[in-house]
Amino acid sequence: MWRDLSVLRTGVILCALVALAAVLAPWLPVDPNRVDLARVLEPPSLAHWMGTDGLGRDVLARLAYGARVSLTVGVGTAAIALLIGLPLGALAGYRGGWWDATVSRAVEAVLCFPALLLALALLSIAPGWLRPLPEALRLALALGLVAWTPTARYLRAEFRRLRGSEAVHAARAAGAGGWRIAVRHLLPQGVAPVLVTMAFGAAAASLAEASLSFIGVGVSPPTASWGQMLYEALRHMGQAWWLAAFPGAALFVTVYGFNRLAEGIRDWLDPRPLLR
Amino acid sequence: MARAARRAAEAAITLALVTLVVFALASTLPAGDDEDEHERALPPPYRAAVRAQFHLDDPWHVRYVRWLGDLSRGDLGISLREKRPVAAILRERLPVSLALNALALAAIVLVALPLGIAGAWRPASRSDRALGLATTALYAVPVFWAALLLQWVFAVRLRWLPLFGFAGAAHLVLPVVCLTYGGLAYVSRFVRTSLVEGTTGEGGRVARARGVGPVRFLLFHGLPQSAIPLLTLAGFLVPRLVGGALLVEEIFGIPGLGSLMFQSVLARDLPVVLALTLLSGAVTLAAMTGADLVAAWVDPRSRRVA
Repeated sequence: MWRDLSVLRTGVILCALVALAAVLAPWLPVDPNRVDLARVLEPPSLAHWMGTDGLGRDVLARLAYGARVSLTVGVGTAAIALLIGLPLGALAGYRGGWWDATVSRAVEAVLCFPALLLALALLSIAPGWLRPLPEALRLALALGLVAWTPTARYLRAEFRRLRGSEAVHAARAAGAGGWRIAVRHLLPQGVAPVLVTMAFGAAAASLAEASLSFIGVGVSPPTASWGQMLYEALRHMGQAWWLAAFPGAALFVTVYGFNRLAEGIRDWLDPRPLLR
Repeated sequence: MARAARRAAEAAITLALVTLVVFALASTLPAGDDEDEHERALPPPYRAAVRAQFHLDDPWHVRYVRWLGDLSRGDLGISLREKRPVAAILRERLPVSLALNALALAAIVLVALPLGIAGAWRPASRSDRALGLATTALYAVPVFWAALLLQWVFAVRLRWLPLFGFAGAAHLVLPVVCLTYGGLAYVSRFVRTSLVEGTTGEGGRVARARGVGPVRFLLFHGLPQSAIPLLTLAGFLVPRLVGGALLVEEIFGIPGLGSLMFQSVLARDLPVVLALTLLSGAVTLAAMTGADLVAAWVDPRSRRVA
């Protein structure tokens, strides 16, 4: 069947672009944290392709290092959300009863809090043994503890629906046990849509990291983060457009790329073209 | 009715658990973290007296039971940061948040519904794709970036609208725009998909065969079909707005609940955090439960599923 892959292609290209920046960051000839007070607020030039900020630091280098934070948080959050949401959702849907009631209450409980603030509260009570972790990973952990609910809800509904299906009856008749049915027969059916929720989740997490860093509670200076660069751009609003334009564009590309990736995977899997 | 009562009981249990967890987690904070610099500077006997008066050093489960008792009498306690009753603070801030969020919700629905219908008009056509592209792109624009841009253009350059603070309707225009544009993608795509799902079935084909025109068809055959997905969506949209206003309130200096929660979490102001958790939890659960119940009422089929 003919399938339109242009959305998926856009997503892959944009995400690869950001990943490339993140990987290549250490090879840049400029140090992202080198302060040069003789070259403050310089517009983009051959020496500094994206100009310099209020402390004379190179915007391009900071942008590339910011990509590492953004991607770590985006992908890390999605992975942690998957690790929590997949088993809980699968158990709730497959076992039902007490499991279902417990997981459903837990999902509701998480949804009771505004997501960003719950993540912030979790960050502030993080136990001491987590301190040695890099900041971006701690952020991903806090955001992941908040972001698992869509995955759990989806898998719960999916496993519930499939539990009574003929394929499961056939597997049981063939002598397969509960675990085997869940892992070998049900899980593969749910994996692809879960990938879609992961990509959407990564987009949301990148935005959340930037938001937290923007209000000063995410990644702390001098580590470069796009949200924090945008906050610093505030002081030079109207006189240094490059300070706000480039980090904003980078964030846009990342979030848009992850979203297109998710939509692309979904379209690719969904045989009903009109419903896209 | 029995169903509604059961859902209400479940919601009450969830809220009790959530607040219990807040207490338990707050107890892991370092001692004295809930004091400001003036309190730390007090001579030790005075400091101990203040702490004893507010029962700040009791074990957390004792404090939880006391909090529940106070709550049952309608007493939300006293803010540790502002040193005045939590209820008074909420009375000031709640109307502001309500106005902001109600306007944003109305704006999202008013803009997204026509966009969704336009997309479902000719699914997978060029205009449908363009709409999808444009709204997804809008979602990817970070809200604080858009806020700064709008402030700069409309408040600093053109001077049409106020930059900061809250003193009337004009102060709400830019914040509402900021809260609206990001939700358009989600809601309009949702409307569109449920419309297309509702109209591509056999019922839709029969209606078309009977000679129902395209406008009438979408509005009178398609929309009722998608009423239930739209209701569940509304149930999810409300809690999103409660938290989503945080950044907008902080940037535009609007004294709403989002920025109050943010400052209270940072200041470890437990009474305020608890009251807001209770409020946002109750609103969230009520919206979700309400959507479920209305869906069950509209469509008897969904009663069996839940």
